[in-house]
Amino acid sequence: MPKKIKAGFYSLSCCEGCEIVMFDLEEKFLKVLNFVEIVEARLFDGKHPKEKLDIAIVEGCVESDVDKKHLLEIRARSKYLVAFGACATIVGIPGIRNALPLEMQKKLKRKAIIPVKEKALPLSAFVKVDALLQGCPAFTHEIIDVLVKIYHGIVPSLEEVPVCNECKERENPCLLFEGVPCLGPVTYAGCKALCPSEKAQCIGCRGFTKDGNFEALREKFQEMGTPKKEIQNLFTYFNKDPFTKEEGEK
Amino acid sequence: MQQNFLLKKEKLNEFLTALSKEAKVFVPALNENNASCFLPFKNQEIFLSKRTSFSPKKILLPPLEKEFIFRKKSSSFKIEHLLDSKKRVFFGVRSCDTHAIKALDKLYLEYFTEDEWYKAIREDITIIALQCSKSCENGFCKSMGTNNPVGHDLLFVEKEKSFFVEAASERGKQVVQKYRDFFNQTNFIKPEPKLKFGKKLETFGLKEILDKNFSHKKWKSEAKKCLSCSSCTQVCPSCYCFLSFDKFILDSGDSERFRAWDSCQLKRFTKVSHNYVFRESRESRLRQFVMHKLSYFPENHGLPLCVGCGRCISVCPVGIDLTEIASTIRGDVK
Ligand code: SF4
Ligand code: SF4
Ligand code: SF4
Ligand code: SF4
Ligand code: SF4
Repeated sequence: MPKKIKAGFYSLSCCEGCEIVMFDLEEKFLKVLNFVEIVEARLFDGKHPKEKLDIAIVEGCVESDVDKKHLLEIRARSKYLVAFGACATIVGIPGIRNALPLEMQKKLKRKAIIPVKEKALPLSAFVKVDALLQGCPAFTHEIIDVLVKIYHGIVPSLEEVPVCNECKERENPCLLFEGVPCLGPVTYAGCKALCPSEKAQCIGCRGFTKDGNFEALREKFQEMGTPKKEIQNLFTYFNKDPFTKEEGEK
Repeated sequence: MQQNFLLKKEKLNEFLTALSKEAKVFVPALNENNASCFLPFKNQEIFLSKRTSFSPKKILLPPLEKEFIFRKKSSSFKIEHLLDSKKRVFFGVRSCDTHAIKALDKLYLEYFTEDEWYKAIREDITIIALQCSKSCENGFCKSMGTNNPVGHDLLFVEKEKSFFVEAASERGKQVVQKYRDFFNQTNFIKPEPKLKFGKKLETFGLKEILDKNFSHKKWKSEAKKCLSCSSCTQVCPSCYCFLSFDKFILDSGDSERFRAWDSCQLKRFTKVSHNYVFRESRESRLRQFVMHKLSYFPENHGLPLCVGCGRCISVCPVGIDLTEIASTIRGDVK
């Protein structure tokens, strides 16, 4: 077998749940170690900090200048950078504060332990991101897939496929017919419609697709009688409000 | 030999249990989320009241199918084909779905000159059709000429506390002979339920009308509502498009070739080199679905690809209905 690839795992602002997911790989994790050398990771046995990396897997979003500095430093020495989980790919939960009224945002900022930036932002607002591992938390089968692909020199790309596609493959009844506002039609698939299969609406943790027809879905929710506030919350829960366009920080 | 029989409804599960001893039997039933679909028979309650929300297509064309494994040898590859031939029985296939199977056969056995994966699954299936005794929600099989089953081995028609059973093929006769104890001969003639349909699709001259109105404004206004969720193609019993991809097997040089359902409602469907997508607009994607069903396939293969089951209409969250699209366009023709 050719040389192992060097990988590092990093956490910015987040709950660090995605890194924990690595342990769910169980015995597959040992197989991963046959072709991946983990040189840096707080949770594992990282020995060689600040090495050049083939692949950096970064969870969390950028909330502060500390995060930003750390991210730029990792990017500078990594061939590929993978955004790991909802916070890294779409800001996710930490980004909820971005949509709050300004007064509340200010109050939150005052309470923060370290100085935080105006907005919480995903990695792509600051650096080139080569691949995404979506989801809150990320999915084990996809982590392996990305590692194996990069090992073979292939950079995985995103397909514009919505959750509904997998929801129907799993032969679920559609929640929209039961009056439950579900974000499946505008959210990237790959989770095998985890939530709708358990009768819970999709809340968009894997990110909004570029192809999504947001206006039509909002109209559908309104028609179903979903309260305005709930619609607004749903569209801004994990993702940036698709109805307001603004420039991301670079 | 007399070919018509009666089977008592209360004996149905016993009969299916007997069949299960020699074949994998699939029946209409409710899944854990209460959706009606085709499931392996486990002596559960058989869903007879309506057509299932999901068709038996997934058994013939699995949503994700492993086709072969490339095994790495020192200087070459060995290819191991994975074919799934088994004895199978489909019970309770409604007329529209038998026509959908016919369309799939046409494509995978004739047009693609015998797709070996499809053929392996298809070869040994006994189809027990179930004649509908009432019309279904959104169905319009009568308009499509698909309201009488084709290609089945046995036909079941509900008749009070029994099923009227007709052996329609050699294979069907053998089943009756083998399980003779379940069947009583009858002199009744086949019941012909008269069905009334709420939905209609006028097919006369339809192809020409649709072809000529390729840029009709209806496509744009429907596309404005469409979520491109692909539910319509996923549930359609005759949508047959697939994509292929390879997957490396973890920590070995081997890899696997898969094929999976694809959908014309997704952008990736027409992605070619340089990431160019030639059916980029929602309008062009939605139109492709309807045109393929009602114009292109009938023209190329001489049979309808839409079998009128109405599932795409029932599943669409925003109420897009191909019969309504077709009749609006027809109505505007002077
Ligand atoms: S339940 Fe949600 S994910 Fe499933 S088909 Fe309906 S909208 Fe799509
Ligand atoms: S269904 Fe939606 S919210 Fe649930 S895991 Fe999938 S993408 Fe995330
Ligand atoms: S089911 Fe309806 S909304 Fe979804 S892609 Fe089909 S036509 Fe569009
Ligand atoms: S196009 Fe719609 S009505 Fe026609 S066969 Fe497919 S799902 Fe049934
Ligand atoms: S479309 Fe026709 S054959 Fe199919 S379920 Fe409905 S009534 Fe029966």
